[in-house]
Amino acid sequence: MTRRLSHPRGLSFLGLPAAGLVIVPIVAVVWRTPWSNFWSSISNDASRTALALSLRTSLIATLLALVFGTPLAWMLANSTFRGRAVVRALLVLPMVLPPVVGGVALLFAFGRRGLVGGVLDDWFGIRLAFTETATVMAEFFVAAPFFIVVMEAAFEQVDRRVLGAARTFGAGPWRSFLTVTIPLVRPSLIAGLVLTWARALGEFGATITFAGNTPGRTQTVPLAVYSALESGNDSALALSMLMVAVSVVVLVALRGRWISALRRGGE
Amino acid sequence: MSITMQCRFVRDTFSINVDVSVASGCVLGIAGENGSGKTTTLDMIAGLLPCTAGSITIDGEVVDDSEMGTFLQPEHRGVATVFQGGGLLPHLSVERNLTFGRGRVLRSTPRFTEVVDAFDLHDLLRRKTNELSGGQRQRTSLARAFLSPSRILLLDEPTTFLDVDSRNAIRRLMKEWFETYEGTVVLVSHDSTEIEDLADVALRVNATRGTTTEANLVQG
Repeated sequence: MTRRLSHPRGLSFLGLPAAGLVIVPIVAVVWRTPWSNFWSSISNDASRTALALSLRTSLIATLLALVFGTPLAWMLANSTFRGRAVVRALLVLPMVLPPVVGGVALLFAFGRRGLVGGVLDDWFGIRLAFTETATVMAEFFVAAPFFIVVMEAAFEQVDRRVLGAARTFGAGPWRSFLTVTIPLVRPSLIAGLVLTWARALGEFGATITFAGNTPGRTQTVPLAVYSALESGNDSALALSMLMVAVSVVVLVALRGRWISALRRGGE
Repeated sequence: MSITMQCRFVRDTFSINVDVSVASGCVLGIAGENGSGKTTTLDMIAGLLPCTAGSITIDGEVVDDSEMGTFLQPEHRGVATVFQGGGLLPHLSVERNLTFGRGRVLRSTPRFTEVVDAFDLHDLLRRKTNELSGGQRQRTSLARAFLSPSRILLLDEPTTFLDVDSRNAIRRLMKEWFETYEGTVVLVSHDSTEIEDLADVALRVNATRGTTTEANLVQG
């Protein structure tokens, strides 16, 4: 007899397939990665170009989320305009939307015959679709909502009393925002940025639809993996392994210091 | 600094009428149950909430007037606040809290040393305020208020959530400092013994509750 409170017998066993389905593929990638020529697989020209493009576009998309997402999240947390719920729902939509559909939406908005893209092309000769800019836009579309959601929760949890006290002790609205609000939401800010960057780095569906899959121009690492797999190239596994490693690093980083920030928000 | 409030605040199902004058240098105590609008009253004086109707005057200057459209921002009203739980900046040290908005020069003034000694904060100056006990926080918060050049001091439940020993210690400190304080004090507490103990003038918020709460804070 084990001396412990009894559990529903057999319930845990039902969980095993779920664990297997998630864990086995990851193990398979690590297992089958051609370690002997791993380095040459990821450092050949095509892989290097894709890596550089992925890094550049995902970092720009994350930076844009920081610069424009922070004020938007602050506004959602602090103002009570009519239709706020609708705006918030629309902003979060890309998190649940199939990314391909996001790409289609981007195409009809910013493509050559799109709502905005048509005007840009006719008046200024600017074509966004199937460019590196389109890659950044696709990544932003899919990833920025994560940042906005995290930051809105963080701004909502900033203690109004603390801000009020700061105001009465002489800090104007901008000064209290920069020296009180921002430091208080910093853990969430960092967590949100890491999550957003990870999501942008892994973006596939919206990118291939709106930006295409042109090596050297719009072919990011996930697209390169897809193309390499199609052509039976070894680098598919090596690049996949690299993405697994990056994801693990992100998770460890988030777990250690920042995952709790997602729940706590400010303080 | 005298304060005159003839105003009304309404939000959702809550409303409060305030008709009060506080003479310069006076300690006004406001008692009343939780949720009766005591904090709302302080927030209106501090400029954290605009009144819905009526006006607030500080030392003859209209700081809030719904009809004239006047609303002076809190940083320009010359009020110092001690909020429930302190209202301290949790990411900053005790020292940075004490000098917040004033610059580091304050630190080398005799006044700083005097206040830090009186509130027994010397050993805590480098500590972050989110590491402090409740009593230490309230001491820091009171010290910050007494270091402020403001001549109006607003205290919102300064001893709530403290254990008996800390509460008595904070009350002693307040009593001692109110005697030499040149400004005007508004002290809010749900504990009427605290009000009786510390205030020159005591008022009570009368609230009637139903589907809506109608509160009145009127000087008799």
